[in-house]
Amino acid sequence: MIRKIVLTTATLSLLIFTGCGQTAPDLDGANAGKNNVSDATQIASDTVTIDENKYGNQNSADSSNGNSTGKYNSSSDGFQSIYFGFGDYGIATGMEDRISGNTGVIKNAGAARIKIEGNCDEFGTDEYNYALGLKRAKAVKDSIAAQGGDTSKMHIISFGESNPVCSSPTDSCYERNRRVDLHLVK
Amino acid sequence: MRYILLLLLSLNLFAVDATLTIEKDVEQRARIALVDASPMIDEKFFKILLSDLKISGHFLADATHHQGDINSNYLLPVLKSKEYILKYALTKQVETKLLIRLLKAADGTELFKKSYAIPTTNKAPFLAHKAISDINNVLKYSDISWINRYVIFSRYTTPKHSEILLADYTFNYKKVIIKGGLNLFPKWADRDQKSFYYSSYSGLTPTLNKINIYTGSKQKITSSEGMMVCSDVSKDGSKLLLTMAPQGQADIYELDLASGAKSRVTAFNGIDVNGKYVDNESSIVFISNRLGYANVYKKSIHSAAVSQVVYHGRNNNAVDADGGKIVYSSRESQNSFGKNRFNLYLTLSGSSTTRPLTTTGVNQFPRFSPDGSVVLFIKHRANGSSIGYINLDSRQSLLFPLSGRKIQSIDW
Repeated sequence: MIRKIVLTTATLSLLIFTGCGQTAPDLDGANAGKNNVSDATQIASDTVTIDENKYGNQNSADSSNGNSTGKYNSSSDGFQSIYFGFGDYGIATGMEDRISGNTGVIKNAGAARIKIEGNCDEFGTDEYNYALGLKRAKAVKDSIAAQGGDTSKMHIISFGESNPVCSSPTDSCYERNRRVDLHLVK
Repeated sequence: MRYILLLLLSLNLFAVDATLTIEKDVEQRARIALVDASPMIDEKFFKILLSDLKISGHFLADATHHQGDINSNYLLPVLKSKEYILKYALTKQVETKLLIRLLKAADGTELFKKSYAIPTTNKAPFLAHKAISDINNVLKYSDISWINRYVIFSRYTTPKHSEILLADYTFNYKKVIIKGGLNLFPKWADRDQKSFYYSSYSGLTPTLNKINIYTGSKQKITSSEGMMVCSDVSKDGSKLLLTMAPQGQADIYELDLASGAKSRVTAFNGIDVNGKYVDNESSIVFISNRLGYANVYKKSIHSAAVSQVVYHGRNNNAVDADGGKIVYSSRESQNSFGKNRFNLYLTLSGSSTTRPLTTTGVNQFPRFSPDGSVVLFIKHRANGSSIGYINLDSRQSLLFPLSGRKIQSIDW
C-alpha cells in the first residue's frame, strides 16, 4: 500500500516539476536570414536634469520644543501643533485647548496669512496619506473657524508623510508625525 | 520508507505553496545559453540579460557565463543541448555598443544579427533590454517591449524635499531628472514617455506641471489648495484623472486638457483618491474610506452610483487598473501600524474572481505595464526593499534590490 502511495506521489512530483512537453517555436532556417539586420540603433537621446533647489527651501519643522505636559510642538509663531490618532482626522478632546490657543494667535496676527500643514506617519501609501493629511488640516481650520478665526487668512496644505519630525520606529515617534502644524506665511 | 513518503509529500506541498511563483511549464520555454564575446567581461550586464530572458516568460536561460568568439559558428558540445545560443559583444569606447548573434544550437545557423549603440555607458542596461525584446520578437513570442521603458519615481531626500528619477526597469540605470524642492507623484503623460506630469510644492498651492524629459520645457496644467495628484491619464492622453481639493475636500476630478474643463467625478465628505480608468474609460475605480477604512470602489464617470469592488482586507489603500483588470494592495494583518503584511491581488471589473499575486512581506504601489501584462510593485521585507515584477501570464516574478531612500510614488 505504502509502496503504491510512494509511486503515485513520485509520479505526481515528477509531473509538477517537469510539466507537459511543448517545444518552443522553431524558425524556418531558409527564411531566417531575412531577419538579419546590422545597424547601429541610437536607443534614445539623453535626458535633462532640472535643479529646483531654489524652490521649497522651507526649513523642516523644529521638533525640539517639548512643553511642560510632555507633549511636543513643531509649529512656529506662537502656534501649537495638533496631534491625531492613527488614521484619524477628528480633533481629540485633549487638543481643544490648543485649538483655542491657536485661534487667539490668529486673532492677534492682524492681516498676516496662516499656513495650516497636515502631516501623517509613514504608514499608508502615497495618495491616501496626502488626503489624510489634508483632512487633518481642514479639521483644524474648521475648528478654528468655529471659534471665530478668520478663514480667509488660512491656507491649508497636506505634506502627507514627507515632513516627519521623528524617524525612530516607535509608537511615540509615529504619534509626533500625525499632526497639523501652523505657521505665519512669511 | 516513511521518510521517503514524507519527503515526497513535502516536495508536493512546497510546489503547492509556490503557486504564486509557479513558473510557466519549464518545457514550454526555449532553452537558451549566452556566450559573452566582449573584450572586457561585464558580469552585471550578463545578469541583466539573464533577468530580461527570465521575466519574458519565454526563455529558460543557462545561468553559466560562457565565453567565446562572436564571429565563429562553432559551439561547445555542452551548448548543443540548448535550442538557441545568444552570442554578444559589449564594447565601451566613445559609444557603448552591443553586437548580438542568435544561433540555432543544433547546427549553428544564424537566425538574427544586430548591433546597437547608445551614447552613455550608464545606459547600457537599455541595450540589453532592446536586444532581448528584439530576439523575443524574432522568435515570434508575445511582446515584451515593456522592458525597454523608463520607470519614473519620486523619493524623499530630507523633510519637505524630494527628487524625481528615471530608471530602467531593473534599476541598474538611475538618473535624477528633478532635484531640489518637493516634487511628487510623477505620472507619464504619453505612451512614448516624452513628458510626465508631477505635483510641485514650490508655492502655497500645490501645482500640476508637465515637463519634457528631453528639452526640460515646463508647462503649468492646474493647481489646487491642499493637494494635487495626477492619478491617471487616458489612453490618448487627452484627459486626466486628478485628486484635488478646491474646497479643501479631496475628491476625484476629470480634466479635459483641450477645453480645460474640470468635472467632479466623486463627491464624498471623506477621502476619495487614486482614480483609475476602467471599462474603456467609461468608469473609474478608486480608493475611498466611505465605510470607515480605505477600500476599492467603482463608479461610472457620469452617474452617482458607487459599488464596492473588494470584500476582504482591513485596509486596501492602493489600486491600479488596465482595461478591465484591477490590481490592489490589501493589508491582511491585525496591527494598526508597525509590522504589517500587505499583499497584492488581481481581480476583474464586474467579477468576483480574485487571484493573489504575492504572499509574503509588505507589497505596495502596484502598477500595470502599459500593455497590462506585467505588474510592478515595491516589496518591503525585514532585510530591505525591492522593486518587483510579476508577469501575469507566465507567473514569472523578479525582484531587484532598492537601496536608500523611501520611494514616494512610481509610474512606468
